[in-house]
Amino acid sequence: MHDYRKVSRASRWLDVRRRKLGMWAYALNRITGIALVVYLYLHLVVLSLLLRGPGAWDSFVALARSPFYLTLDVILLAGILIHGLNGLRIALTGFGIGVGAQKALFTILMIVSAIALWVAALKIFRI
Amino acid sequence: MTENPFAEEPKPTSAWLWQVFTGVGLVILLGLHFIANHFVAKGGLRDFTEVVAYLRDPLILCLEVLFLLCVTTHALLGVRAIFLDFGPSELAERRLDQVLKVVGVLTVAYGLGVTWMVIR
Repeated sequence: MHDYRKVSRASRWLDVRRRKLGMWAYALNRITGIALVVYLYLHLVVLSLLLRGPGAWDSFVALARSPFYLTLDVILLAGILIHGLNGLRIALTGFGIGVGAQKALFTILMIVSAIALWVAALKIFRI
Repeated sequence: MTENPFAEEPKPTSAWLWQVFTGVGLVILLGLHFIANHFVAKGGLRDFTEVVAYLRDPLILCLEVLFLLCVTTHALLGVRAIFLDFGPSELAERRLDQVLKVVGVLTVAYGLGVTWMVIR
């Protein structure tokens, strides 16, 4: 029962149904954070292609310029923007800055994320 | 965990402060990394010759190494925070810290090793 409670407590941030905006912010930070850690290690593995020389790396680069990979780049950028800007809000409020306005701050930062993502997506697909 | 995380301010532990400092560093370094490697590079990615020339620039090399240190520290402190949500015992927390330190050192060593082998 004790262990169940621990798991239940930790998994609550995965279930944002009928939760307030704060829970969405918390869950988004956790979920994007996990996804970015997974991406970091995938990225490091992909970089090992450099050790196999120009042939291996340049073949990967050609593949990475395909629309499928460019779409993954946009998804990655969405995770970075959401995690980064939401993280800045958490850091500010952690130091007691803007605590009373953090719901508004979260909403504004997510709008900024959406706009930045839109601009970047256009740039990525025009390259 | 409270129902509404907005109602609870994070406690300023040293781990949390490191998470904030590396996070702020990442906003700058990841921004530069992403712009330099995906927006400035012709075709959105550098080919092998361009990667080698890019990494041989001393300023770029310093920034990329700093980026590796920041991103590894920030990522593993984030993993630690998630594990702490499960309320581990003190012993489990100490073990977790040891494992994450080893993973961190191996990650940075791997990154530095790949970089060194590419630019030598």
